[in-house]
Amino acid sequence: MTIQTLYLLSPEILLVIAALAIYLGGAFLPEGRKPVRLAMAAILAAALVLGLTRYEGIHFGPLMLDQLATATRWLALVFGALLLPMAVRGIREPHGSEYVGTFLLALVGLMLAGSADELVLLFLGLELISIPTYILLYLGRGDAAAREATAKYFFLSLLASALLLYGFSFLYGATGTTELAGIRDHLSAVGAKNGAAGRLVKIAIVLIVAGLGFRITAVPFHFYAPDVYQGTSHANAALLAILPKVAGMVVLLRIVAGAMPNLAGEACRLLLILALASMTFGNVVALWQNHLRRLMAYSSIAHTGYLLLGLAAGLAAVPGGNGWDGLTAVLFYLAVYAAATLGTFAAFAYLGRDERPLEAVEELTGLGRTRPLAALALGGFMFSLTGIPPLAGFWGKLAVFGSALGVGAGNAVSPMGLWLTVITVAAVVNSAISAAYYLRIVSTMYFRAPLGTPRAEGGPAAAWTAGICAVLVLLLGLYCAPLWSVAADVACPATIAVPVEGR
Amino acid sequence: MFETARLLVLIPALPLAGCLLAAVLGPRWLRARSHLPVVAAIAAAFAASLILLGQVRQQAAEANGAGVGVERVVTLWRWAAIDECYQQRVATGLGDASAWRDLVIDVTLRADPLTAIMLVTVTFVALLVAVYSIGYMHDDPGYWRFFAYLGLFVFSMTMLVSVSNFVLLYVFWEAVGLCSYLLIGFWYHKPEAAAAGKKAFLVNRIGDFGFALGVFLLWTIYGTLDFHDTSLADGSVVSAGILGQSRLAGGGLLAAGPLATVTCLLLFVGACGKSAQFPLHVWLPDAMEGPTPVSALIHAATMVTAGVYMVARCMPLFVAAPDALQVVAAVGTLTALLGALIALTQTDLKRILAYSTISQLGYMFLGLGAGTLLGATAGMFHLFTHAFFKALLFLAAGSVMHAMGGVIDVRRFGGLWRRLPTTHWTFLFGGLALAGAVPFAGFWSKDQILVAVAEQAAHNGLYQTLYWSAIITAGLTAFYTFRAYFLTFHGPEVVPAEAGHHAHESPATMTVPLMILAGCALGVGAWFEYTHGFAELLSRTPSLAFVAARVAEGEATAHRAGDLHGQVMVLSIVVATVGMALAALVYWGARGTAGNLARAADLLGLYRLSYGKFFFDPLYDALVVRPLELLAALLAWADRCVIDGVVDGTGRLVRTVGASMRPLQGGMIQFYALAMVLGLLVLMGVLML
Repeated sequence: MTIQTLYLLSPEILLVIAALAIYLGGAFLPEGRKPVRLAMAAILAAALVLGLTRYEGIHFGPLMLDQLATATRWLALVFGALLLPMAVRGIREPHGSEYVGTFLLALVGLMLAGSADELVLLFLGLELISIPTYILLYLGRGDAAAREATAKYFFLSLLASALLLYGFSFLYGATGTTELAGIRDHLSAVGAKNGAAGRLVKIAIVLIVAGLGFRITAVPFHFYAPDVYQGTSHANAALLAILPKVAGMVVLLRIVAGAMPNLAGEACRLLLILALASMTFGNVVALWQNHLRRLMAYSSIAHTGYLLLGLAAGLAAVPGGNGWDGLTAVLFYLAVYAAATLGTFAAFAYLGRDERPLEAVEELTGLGRTRPLAALALGGFMFSLTGIPPLAGFWGKLAVFGSALGVGAGNAVSPMGLWLTVITVAAVVNSAISAAYYLRIVSTMYFRAPLGTPRAEGGPAAAWTAGICAVLVLLLGLYCAPLWSVAADVACPATIAVPVEGR
Repeated sequence: MFETARLLVLIPALPLAGCLLAAVLGPRWLRARSHLPVVAAIAAAFAASLILLGQVRQQAAEANGAGVGVERVVTLWRWAAIDECYQQRVATGLGDASAWRDLVIDVTLRADPLTAIMLVTVTFVALLVAVYSIGYMHDDPGYWRFFAYLGLFVFSMTMLVSVSNFVLLYVFWEAVGLCSYLLIGFWYHKPEAAAAGKKAFLVNRIGDFGFALGVFLLWTIYGTLDFHDTSLADGSVVSAGILGQSRLAGGGLLAAGPLATVTCLLLFVGACGKSAQFPLHVWLPDAMEGPTPVSALIHAATMVTAGVYMVARCMPLFVAAPDALQVVAAVGTLTALLGALIALTQTDLKRILAYSTISQLGYMFLGLGAGTLLGATAGMFHLFTHAFFKALLFLAAGSVMHAMGGVIDVRRFGGLWRRLPTTHWTFLFGGLALAGAVPFAGFWSKDQILVAVAEQAAHNGLYQTLYWSAIITAGLTAFYTFRAYFLTFHGPEVVPAEAGHHAHESPATMTVPLMILAGCALGVGAWFEYTHGFAELLSRTPSLAFVAARVAEGEATAHRAGDLHGQVMVLSIVVATVGMALAALVYWGARGTAGNLARAADLLGLYRLSYGKFFFDPLYDALVVRPLELLAALLAWADRCVIDGVVDGTGRLVRTVGASMRPLQGGMIQFYALAMVLGLLVLMGVLML
């Protein structure tokens, strides 16, 4: 820990200071005032600082400030700025300042998890997402369902954290270091996959994938998601669907692709199993859902499946091969998924009322006539999530499936290549199944006569968030090159860091 | 201010903006003023096109040497880029056969003589038609909708002629098809209009399918879809476009052989659909159900010439596949003759003109099919002059229809020259141009096509046949044009009851465009024939410059063109005069002769054949539609009983699977934790065992 480390972490430190100030100052605020402006100013200031911080190189003690870290930190700030104003609206007094402060801490968690190069700091970052989330869930809604949801999330999250930490300790035991770079060097120096140390590393990888599987809602670690999404507010559901998933995917990328390249084959096998289970389970069960947030929970589970498929393809890829790069595809997909999901929840939040949020699919009946703009945006998100051009989701799916097929065709003889191809086919079938429930929402909005005009009282913040996300989804669909090149830049170092001989 | 790049963007962007304004503001605020944004935008686009043409001329004047083309390519943004997505396996002898290709689709516009001429033609005719429509469409309930569609059409058409990439060409090819569909079915409450729109769309689908296959083949052969070369700042060529300078200058590194022939034929199928050539010509006459200004603009002057434009643009590909070129010429001639024969007996004024459009488009393809520079420029020249006089004829017919209260059957009115003096003389000018009377525009361009074919006829028997068919068609054209003219404007004055009290001349917004077009129908042909400006400018188009350079090798034919020209000119004047004279003989004055003639022809079954449009519609109905309907009925049954069963079964299966998984979600946290741990153990087993 040096002065330089502090300098490099100044955006995070600034946010933490702001959070503490909000906690303290909240006690003196008059009833009904929520310190959203201060929090937004803090996020803006953090963004400014992040933009102005200059440094050479990427390794700084426990930090790894490569492009992946930069992208994650920016994503966290943008996501926070879009979600916070809308999330605060439904919070009961006198918990406004607690909610805002805790929200900022959760953002810091994602930023740290994205820039950690060391197991302890990584774990710290992930916990800094989880622990504030418990509080946010509890503050989100006051009823019994919310309390049940919070308790479920709390206990299961603890279990997942324990698994992850257990995995980290195996990794430390096998390699004798907590630094990712050190772990990579050690693993490639030893080179053995068998023997005692090799077995320890395999146990570690399973435990780590399981622990992170909870964060990214991969089957069978997903069970909390539907219950918790249902039991909380739309804004909190958006938070749960995006923040831990981004963190989980980034950390998975760092550890599996960055630190244990020799075990890419094993990791790939695990990820493919989880991918197939997640997308199939998520899509099939989603068909039955009438509750909007439950449906979105299963949708989120299904999208994890696609993401894991892309990650597996990225791991199995031969360096210098042709076609799409799986890791780039995953990062691109993640951003596009985040935009569409955040927009969907924002639109739901906008269409409901504070005391009675939107719950059932039927409440959207005839929205195309009563709230044409909201229906248009929501329809756009649904089509994007289904993956229909010209919306952003199409390119995401195209890239993920294309990369998996490209790798699959490249190693057609190996069982891994065959599996990749088979599971990609399954993913395409799944994508078709998902159209059934996404388009059901669209058809409910457009092809059924309205029962009454929904009281769109979710506030202007939610409307703005939904609108911005809708524009993003459309623009990225029409012109995906900028985001794609960013994703390619971010993915590049992650793949280059992988030594070639282990593949 | 007026850089080429900016002009190229402005020309399509302005009509699009006009369209959006009319669409957004039209229904509530602009209402009867909905034409304002569109007319203003098209006028500005026309001005921009003129400036662009001036710049291109400047550039062309600076180029020297035969076979040197000029072009200016402007890349706006990269639409899609997929690195190394296709390994070229077709051995075409065009570079490294096993190279990996990037699929790059840039949104790229180009300025070259061909594009500039098309832009000026399109925007000029569109401007006049838009002004005309102010009068023609007034107090139609869909007034704003009409102008919004019109703006959209001009946007699509200007994009179609200025893009520099086959994918975008295809996109805007479809876009003009969509506009055409929307405008044919503009009065969608009329069942015939809705059916005609559908028919046009479906018949065009067949052509577009061929076009798409052609584009796929091009990609397979060349590994790029750009017209132009992509080069770095230092001038080194990264990827040679299909019609790029580097490929064409290298003596044409173009694919030849059966594959090239198939590609060209597929592209030509697309052109047949859009430009209503046999056997896909059946949609165009029905398209006359749309408002008359639409018939003038889209189904006579501009959109239907897209096929001609495309073939002209791809001329190097066709020259490399001479068999395909002969098919183009033969289909063009056959269509020209067929259209003229059908037009002889039709009684609907707009349909007569529609068949004459089909016939004239056939001429254009015949010109292109000659495969020489003269042929190609003549084909494009005919496109250019035809745009003026055919738009004129349609608008004049619209003016008649306007005055006659919507009646368009030539048997139900007559002797209108006194009541509609302006319409009468402008229609006469258009008719003279169409018939090919000296010195009207149509004469010069048709004459050039005939000369080009006559040149080829000297050493190719096929072209000999085509030449004489074209001459006969010219005579028929003169006859049916003046049949329509005499029936409408001469003889005893007959006015149908529907006309009521407004059987009078149309307002100035309608007659002024007519007069301007009449001036063009008289003047443009002779002017360009005199100055040779058109052909010289056009031959600086890269595609056509290639043809010029290629033909320049066989210089021998050049001096013979002079003699030929004289013969052909005399012949075509004689034929046109005979046609017109016969029409006057039969239809000027008492109608008895006409009846006798029809009866005489009917004895041989000829009249009925022509009147029945060679029975293409019943024929297609029996050969294509009925069997397809039968198949569809069969499939519908199979769909309901078998496929639906399977699909519903699958759906039910998926839902059942889902239902069987739902109890897992029991809400018990103990079970959730257990499932997590069990899952962990399974994963552990997978890795360890």
